[in-house]
Formats: sequence, structure tokens, C-alpha cells
Amino acid sequence: MQIGFYFDQTRCIGCSACAVACKDWYDIPAGPERWMRILYNETGKLPKVFVSYTISPCFHCEDPVCIPVCPVEAIIKREEDGIVVVNSEKCIGNEQCDSKCLKACPYDAPQFSNKVGAKMHKCNYCLDRFVEGKLPICVEACRTHALDAGYLDDLKRKYGDIQETKNFTYSERTKPAIIFKPKLK
Amino acid sequence: MSNANNVKKSDVKIVRSTSAFDCGGRCPLRLHVKDGKIIRIETDDYEVKEEQLRACLRCRALRQYVYHPKRLKFPLKRDGPKGSGKFKRISWDEALSEIAKKLKEVKELYGNLSIFLALGGGYQAAYHDGMLAMMRLLTQFGGYSTHYGNVSSEGAVYATQTMYKSPFVGNSRDDLLNSNLIIMWGWDPARMISGTDTIFNLVKAKEKGIKIISIDPRYTDSATILADQWIPIVPGTDVAMMVAMAYVIIKENLHDQEFLDKYTVGFEKFKAYVMGEEDGIPKTPKWAEKITTVSAKIITDLALEYGRTKPAALMDCQAPARSAVGELYNRAAITLTAMTGNIGVHGGSAAGGLMGIPYGHMFFRAGIPPPRRNPVEEGLKSVRGSLDLNLRFQARCHTNKIFDAILKGKKGGYPFDVKFAWFINNNFLNQLGNANKSAKALKQLDYMVISELWLTPTAKYADIILPVSSIAERSDLTRPWPSGPYFTIANKAIEPLGECKSDLRIAEELADKLGITEFVKYPDVESSLKFMLKMTEDTRKEIKNFKKFKEQGIHRVKLEEPHVAFKKEIEDPENHPFGTPTGKIEIYSQRIADLNDPDNPPIPKYLERWEGRYDPLSKKYPLQLLSPHPKSRVHSEMYLVEWLKEVDPHVAWINPVDAEARNIKNGDEILVYNGRGKLKIKAWLTERIIPGVISISEGAWYDPDDNGIDRGGCVNTLTMDAYSPGGASALKSCLVEIKKFKGGA
Repeated sequence: MQIGFYFDQTRCIGCSACAVACKDWYDIPAGPERWMRILYNETGKLPKVFVSYTISPCFHCEDPVCIPVCPVEAIIKREEDGIVVVNSEKCIGNEQCDSKCLKACPYDAPQFSNKVGAKMHKCNYCLDRFVEGKLPICVEACRTHALDAGYLDDLKRKYGDIQETKNFTYSERTKPAIIFKPKLK
Repeated sequence: MSNANNVKKSDVKIVRSTSAFDCGGRCPLRLHVKDGKIIRIETDDYEVKEEQLRACLRCRALRQYVYHPKRLKFPLKRDGPKGSGKFKRISWDEALSEIAKKLKEVKELYGNLSIFLALGGGYQAAYHDGMLAMMRLLTQFGGYSTHYGNVSSEGAVYATQTMYKSPFVGNSRDDLLNSNLIIMWGWDPARMISGTDTIFNLVKAKEKGIKIISIDPRYTDSATILADQWIPIVPGTDVAMMVAMAYVIIKENLHDQEFLDKYTVGFEKFKAYVMGEEDGIPKTPKWAEKITTVSAKIITDLALEYGRTKPAALMDCQAPARSAVGELYNRAAITLTAMTGNIGVHGGSAAGGLMGIPYGHMFFRAGIPPPRRNPVEEGLKSVRGSLDLNLRFQARCHTNKIFDAILKGKKGGYPFDVKFAWFINNNFLNQLGNANKSAKALKQLDYMVISELWLTPTAKYADIILPVSSIAERSDLTRPWPSGPYFTIANKAIEPLGECKSDLRIAEELADKLGITEFVKYPDVESSLKFMLKMTEDTRKEIKNFKKFKEQGIHRVKLEEPHVAFKKEIEDPENHPFGTPTGKIEIYSQRIADLNDPDNPPIPKYLERWEGRYDPLSKKYPLQLLSPHPKSRVHSEMYLVEWLKEVDPHVAWINPVDAEARNIKNGDEILVYNGRGKLKIKAWLTERIIPGVISISEGAWYDPDDNGIDRGGCVNTLTMDAYSPGGASALKSCLVEIKKFKGGA
């Protein structure tokens, strides 16, 4: 099985409630370690301005490229649900390995704090909530209900199978588990 | 990792609460408490997901706010020059004894009018509110002077009082789905939470296929997802566009004459102005194009669309009314809704900018009021419902003139000389016009007390700072404003930090020091809250089971259909006249005509006044400055919370046209300045703002350096401490210039 996210870009106001809720749930201090990021995109000229936001958590890829590059096999993909988790204790830190996982990931999902030799952390699909049958905290935090999560097949049935949008290219190599409703105007 | 994976569930208690910030939401929060500490926060878990009242990013960061290392935890006494920010810790007994002594001294030497209460909206709950507690106490002490005029909404209040005689002009938000056209005019509900569920209802409206148009100098966060069309407009010229729309509607005979005859007075006078019969200038779209920069075609098309689409919701707001003659914007908007017969019907809108519905509204919140009229106002002419602001200033000053009044006193024409001021629930130095002048006033003020959680820019000038507890440390009754319908309760989650106290307890203890025995004490919070629920009619009717209310943290009011403002007045005018003197919607107001003030015309008109685009001062300061709500703070509250700061960098929105003309690049440090002050901020170049206008979110903390440059980027370093004839704080009538920052002066 493979879990994944659904993101309705037409509903996202870029408020970052999801990102703040994530920091609160996992007690991550302000700073560069951001398990959920919101990417901003603006094009066009007034008054025909186009603005969109894209969520950027870990997409729990079907073929995660972060796993083979890790020198100490600190990252695994859970067979039962496809969640990609990192054993941060095992991670040897970004100084020693030169952030190989981050460099490999097309979506910058692996996150490091600004401490010297910081170990990798990242979105774990709220595994602690998932095992209790709950949705990730970001999904429940969204004021415009732009986010959903679940098994990828279910999400595809419910929302279709568009996997690309503005500022997001679907990587055939890694196969990110994300479905979009793209914002077109 | 974090505490996340080693939290044993059984150790965690879920406490239902809300915030009490001065925002337009009141969102259910589930505080996870372990060993007396909040460890996480979740929001509403209502079983109907689509109707959940989900907290915004601000309350998602409430934990970092409550436990911020910079929270004040002990009473402080000034230990350096005023404004130096140097304080020493003292005991509560010492602090309250000194305050009591000072109060008695000032009363003895100068009289009660010299005791000034500066009251803000920073705590929106019923029981522990320091505002009501201090009003009560000082009334019993012989009185106090204070101020009049809500900084946020006074223009809208004045307009709705003039035309409807009621501030409850809103429909419940689900009624937006009954509309066929929604016009967001200066309204950005994605940031300014005008009802927790407002933004999601707008999303649903859009997805239902309802056309949404945004008229705004900025392409707002709301507009980016909602608007089919963005119509950029020069700030302060909204009324010109509205009257030009009225021109088209009249010309095309699209106005609802039957409605106007039945429910309004004065349309003929307005029509005479619009068609040019009054002043020889027909208010055509071409005429408005020159003023607004919106093309005549766009104005015409919009007017036709608004005139022909039924029902249509013209959603004005409060922000454009925070300007030189701001109330005219809401008055013109109301006039358009009357002309098109959109008042009192589903899917319409009565405009007026306040959007409140009379269910669970803050205006009806409980509270133990002062036992009698403030003694210093005893015998003065009644101000009730008056449109004559001078009546309100018999013993008060305007809120945006608090610091001017402190500086000038009676010599400056104010009714008092302030010798003692107590600031409660506000950071007024930061949040009122002309911060540099405010700082000067506080430097020369004899004695100042502030009740605060933080060492704010205002608190820095205090003689005594009293540390107050946060909502998480209190149980209290909270309400959404302006839109419910529901009631909420905050259950105390943790003990007060350090020596923090609730404002109510502070007033009680001070009452003892002052020897006031009649100040009612409420030792048992729970029975007090129960009592307060019985005080107000709506909660008395709705909340029968206190235990259940406490456990669920919220009581949702079930309406049979969406609430529509003035439905009774429209459906049954015989028995339900409007509260105005004529019993009708007053497009023409005789009460205003009697005031004989050219800036306050009896019909809504477009007027050009100070510090707009066409003020001659614009030669020197050519950019108009907007100061919208920040998305990551409630005004200046939560400013220090890092989780919020990092998702919302403090920047100035600048159109590339204005930036290039000054050789400013994206991310450059710039100096924004005018005759009142200068501030430093980063430039953010964006097509989302029209040329000639820059925008800086209000609420960043004032932090002047030795050269007088505000390094904090507090927008009120630049704004003016002025108000409109209707009492609107004119913070958006503000001209500035910008240049690349080169350090030093």
C-alpha cells in the first residue's frame, strides 16, 4: 500500500497554518528545519497576476531516491504503507555525509536544523497519528480544506490522477505520492 | 526526536479553550496538557468536517506565545529613564501600594479627570477583562477620563448608525452561497478573520460557480483564490467608483425605485448629486476613471453586472474607512445595496462593513459593568446615538488623539490634563497614528501603569508594569465577533506563569489598597461564569447545560435558515421600522445636515481630502501607504512568536514600477519616510499592488535607533494621529517616499 497527499491548489491561500501546526505537533523550533514548506509562485503583470502556492512536505515517493544515497541506511520505506521514515539516531549528520539525501531529493524534503552536524528529520506523514487512524496534522489544520491524505489509490479515485501543477514537476524517477487539483488562473 | 513519540496518551489531558485575541474569529482549541504544561494544540473536532471552525496559524502557534521566554512574569518598576526599557522586579504588594498611593495623590491634587484609562481590545472575554474591571473600580474611586472611537471600525460604525441605526448589518456566512455575485471591496478575509468560517464559505461559493470580484489596491490573499476578476483601485477613491456605478445604474434605469420609495429617504438628493444636477459634474465612469485609475469600461461593466444580477452581495469592509473621510465609503456602499434592493434578502448584502450578526456577537458579551455612570461624565449631555462627535468629547478624547491629549492637555483644547494613565489590553504607542509623537508624549507623562504580557513598545514607557496571565491560564467566556453563530468557553489549562495575575484579580487587590469595599469580588470562577451566562439573553436562552458547554468548549446555535440582516424591516416595515429618525434607511441624513460640516455631507459624496493621491503633499511624498492586517499576528499581539515570524517576513509591498524608478531591487533594505518619521524595512517587489502605493502590515514593534529610524518597521511611525468627521482613525490617509537604505541617517 502507498499513502499520499492530495493538494487542492485552487483553495490554498498560503496562510501556513499547516506549517505552523506541524512545528507545534513535532515541537520543532523556528528555523530552517521545516517539515512542511509552502512555495510561492507569482507571474504576470497587473491586473492579470497569477499567484499560486504549493505545499512541500515529504511526498513519500514510491521510489525514494533518498534511501539508496544514505551511507548508513538511516532512511527506510515502510512496506505496509509506503511511509518514508528516517531514523535520525542512525543518521550521521549533514556535515559527515554532505547532505546526500537532500541533494538527491528533487523536492528538498530532508530537513536539517542550523546546528553543526545536524541530523536529518522530515515529514513522517504524522506516523504517530496515522497508527491511531488520524489524518496528518497539516490536513486537519487547513482552513480552506485544501489538503487531504490517505491511500494513494483512494485519493486517485476521489480526486483524479493529476500529479503535476505550476512549479511542481512529477519525477518519474522517484514517483512522489501526491495528487493535485492545479490552479490554472 | 521531539516529545512527539514519547508522549504517553494517558498522561495527556485535553483542555477545551479558545483565544481571546482581538481577531474576528473565536476558534475552538484543544490544548494537550501534560504535567501542567501545554505540549500541543489541535483545533475543532466537530463531527461535521465541513462545518469545523478551524483555527488559523495564529492560534496554531499559541503554545509558543504562552511559553515565550520574553513573557513578563513579575511586577516591574522603572529603573532608568522613561522609555529606556530598564526595569527592576518588585513585589505585587509594593506595586499595588505604589499605584494606590499615586491614584490618591493625583485625585487629591488634580481631580479624577486627570486619571486616564487607555482601553484596548486585546482581551475579548467576559470575566477577567481588565477593561471592565478597571472602569468599575475607578468609577467607585470617583471617576476617570478616557477616550472614544474604535480604531478598527469607527467609520463603519458611524455609517451604519447614520443609515440603519444598527451595527448588525451582516448575514451569516453560509448565506454567501445564496448569492449570484459577490463583490469583495477592500476585504481580505483570508487574513482578517471576519468570522472563522468566512473564508471557507467563500471557497464554497466560488466552487458553486458564483462570480467573485475583488476591488482593492492589492491582489489580496483572498483574491488570489477567489476572484474571477481583480480591479485595482487607488486607495481613498472607492467612493468615486461607487457613485459612478450609481450613475450607470440610474442611467440604465436599473435601480429599484420601488425599494427606494418604500424603505429609504433621500435618494432624490443623492441622484441629483450623481447626475450632476447639484454641482454641474455628472459622476460618469469617465469622471471616475481619472480619479480611481479604473477604466470607465470596467466601471460601467461592473455597474451593469451589479445592477442586473440578483441577488448580489457587495461586501465592503472597515479598512478603506480608516481614512480621512472614511465613513463615506461605507455610506456609499450601503446606498448601492439599497439602490439594487439587496438589503434584507438572501444572497444579498446590506453592506456597512461590520458584517456582524446578532448571534453570539461580542457586542452582547457579558461583563460586570460599572455600577453607575462615570462620575466625571455625570451631568454632561447624553451622547447616546448621537452623530455629533463633539458631544462624545465632553470628557473624552478621540482614541487616535490619546497621545496628543497627553502632550497638550487642556491647553490643547482637551477636557483634561493627564497626570496618571493606565494602559490595559493595548499597545497604543504602536497601534495609533504617529508613534514618534506618542513616544514623546509618554516620555513626558507624569505616571504610567500598564497591564501586559510583554515588554511592548508602549510598556517600555511605564513606571509600573503588571504582568497578566494569558487566556490559557484563565477560564472565561469568549464569543466570536462578528460572525457566529456560536458561543465558546476557555477552560483554564495551566497555572499562571510566574507571578502573573488576571486583570480582574489585580483590580480586586487594588480595591483593597484603595479602601474600596463595594468592588464586587468573585472568588469562585465557575459560579461567576455560570452567573454571567445568565446575564445575557442569548446565552440564557441557548446554554442550558453548563457542564456540557464546559466539556465541549462550544455551543453551536442552530439557525433554521441563514441569518439575513434587516429581514424583518424589509418583510414587515409597518411593524419593524429602521431605528433611524425617519424609520427608513437614510441615504440623506438630516442629523448630519444639522452638523453643517463640509467634510461630513448629508448624502454620501466623493471628497478629496488630506494625504490622498491628489493632495499637493504628494509632490514631496508621492506614495500612498497602506497598513493592512498582518496574516501572522493579531495587530501587534503575537509579534515575538518565532513560528509566526518565519512564515510571514515583514516586508513592504512595492510595485516594480515604483521600485525601478528608485533603483530598488527585491530584498533591498529601504527607508520609508515622511514628515512624521522614518522606518527601515525590506522591499518585496510584486505585481500584486498598484503603482503609487506601498503596503506594510501593521503591528510590527516600534524600535527607533539613535538616528530616529524605526528599525522595527512599525507602520504607525509614518501614519497620522487624525480622525474623520465620523470618528474613523485615519491611518490609511498617509503619504510617504521611499529610497534605498544606506545605513545611518
